[in-house]
Amino acid sequence: MEKEVVLEVKNLKTHFISNKGTAKAVDGIDFVLRKGETLGIVGESGCGKSMTSLSILRLIPSPPGKIVDGQVLLKGQDLVKMSDEELRKIRGNRISMIFQEPMTSLNPVIPVGEQIAEALRLHQGLSKKQAWDRSVEMIGLVGIPSPEKRAKQEPFQLSGGMRQRIMIAMALACTPEVLIADEPTTALDVTIQAQILEIMKDLQKKIGMGIIFITHDLGVVAEMCDQVGVMYAGQIVEHQEAKNLFNNPLHPYTQGLIGSLPKLYEDQEELQIIEGTVPSPYDYPEGCRFAERCPFAQDICIQKQPNLIQFDENSKVRCWKYSDEWQDSLAKEVVAP
Amino acid sequence: MFLFILKRLVQIVPVILGVTLVVFLIMQMVPGDPAVIMAGEGASKETINELREDLGLNRPLHEQYLSYIGNVFQGDLGNSLKNNQPVMDEIMVRLPITMELAFFSIMITIVLGLIAGIISAVRPYSFSDISVMVVALIGISLPSFWLGLLLMYVFSVKLQWLPVAGWDSTAHIILPAITLGAGGAAIVARMTRSSMLEVVGQDYIRTAKAKGLKGHVIIYKHALRNALIPVITVVGLQFGSLLGGTVLVESVFAINGIGRMIVDSIRTRDIPMVQGGVLVASLVFVFVNLLVDVMYRVFNKRIDLN
Repeated sequence: MEKEVVLEVKNLKTHFISNKGTAKAVDGIDFVLRKGETLGIVGESGCGKSMTSLSILRLIPSPPGKIVDGQVLLKGQDLVKMSDEELRKIRGNRISMIFQEPMTSLNPVIPVGEQIAEALRLHQGLSKKQAWDRSVEMIGLVGIPSPEKRAKQEPFQLSGGMRQRIMIAMALACTPEVLIADEPTTALDVTIQAQILEIMKDLQKKIGMGIIFITHDLGVVAEMCDQVGVMYAGQIVEHQEAKNLFNNPLHPYTQGLIGSLPKLYEDQEELQIIEGTVPSPYDYPEGCRFAERCPFAQDICIQKQPNLIQFDENSKVRCWKYSDEWQDSLAKEVVAP
Repeated sequence: MFLFILKRLVQIVPVILGVTLVVFLIMQMVPGDPAVIMAGEGASKETINELREDLGLNRPLHEQYLSYIGNVFQGDLGNSLKNNQPVMDEIMVRLPITMELAFFSIMITIVLGLIAGIISAVRPYSFSDISVMVVALIGISLPSFWLGLLLMYVFSVKLQWLPVAGWDSTAHIILPAITLGAGGAAIVARMTRSSMLEVVGQDYIRTAKAKGLKGHVIIYKHALRNALIPVITVVGLQFGSLLGGTVLVESVFAINGIGRMIVDSIRTRDIPMVQGGVLVASLVFVFVNLLVDVMYRVFNKRIDLN
């Protein structure tokens, strides 16, 4: 039986409008997040994954950013159309976020316990004392020793790993239905990274929230995620179950990404690379956005943009190779000379 | 913290030496002999010489300075050359007046400056922002003596709402305090605006928004406290120029404060009075700077004072 859908994003488009033109940072994203599941969104820098996550809670810098189309449905309620006041009650309460930079994401002059407690007072109507006690409890829950003492300290007195734990405690204090984690471990060293991921998985089991996990690290995806969306140039190019992604990548871009990982049991002289660079969001090509770098590209790829097509029950891919038109295109190629 | 304050208090000694020495030397270089001025026009040479002898003005310079500084450390600022009254007594009468003026002026600087800066920063490039910044620019550009005369003309002469000059009631404080505080308020407003705009773009403000906090909580609790740190520096510096400004404003509004005392004493070459006045003003400035440093620490625990 399929689990309940908590968050559904439909055709989300976030554009940045400036003198330079329109940058289509997020250009038609669809995904579904189910209760207790983790959806990974992977892609290289600048592919729009962070902007997707910020768009969900409408936290994109605006102007110049603007959500121009689409829906973000939290159990059917559209966050895009909601008033600021209604949305404010959802932020930090039903949907919360953890950011990439634990060093700068906490307010430097407010004790960390208070930074957690204020959301509790606001959303859960707890008294000052109750909120503080709960805040201390949360700090203990994310594995920080002597939480009573730490709660009174300011961020500069804590290490990077501890600050990120505080961010997690803050995000989970109100037991949200959705947690958006935007590269939460990127700025941390590997041992701390593993601890943080462990804590997140553990608390997910306790609270049962859905997690959207933004990362560029395929290793972390394998560790954390149930479903994976691979983003390229503002779009999702492949959607797979995480366990299948590594064995059976569909999109040539995903294949390239996985091919570029170092392999433990093979003797490799050099790592495989994907030739070329990501197209500018101001000026995407007419056809497939990956065509220029794709080893399989045909005429049709350059002429027309592919749709995200259902490959099998659990996977989708945005590539002409898996379409009915592909064989025709190949046939033409042979006849054409 | 305690050690820090103690260290700073010890540093007052060289400040006293430096200030008195500089003022002493400048007063020596200024043309005009105090004895001649005191004796009045048409006084005989003998009278002048006698006077000079009495005042110790014929002793070598270093002797004059050393005996003065020795007395200063015993709390004796000497006697006025004009009326032979102790300088300390005169200062004790006038200092509270100047301090009162300075206090209300710096309050205007802080309160007006912060409010204007926040209004500007909340909606940058809006009509309210641009109007506030234009007024601030005018505030910085106006010389205080001119602003004082203008205010006096409008509110005292034309509207007759407030007294023209003097220092008898609360109403007397208003115009001089505005005159003296306006320039500082303009500078604080501009500093607050730019500091707030910088802070609002920080990651932790995004975190505060993601937490669902209300707009005013984000501004006052999360942004302002961080934005205030550079503003405190500016207020501290502003207090220095404000003390200098009392000289002008007290003259314009005929207030018998330290500033006016210094001006009058320079005119009559009353060296002990000038030195005493400048010394007291310097000490006030040193204390205010100490206060500013302590405030830093209160607002930002990352700053280690030692």
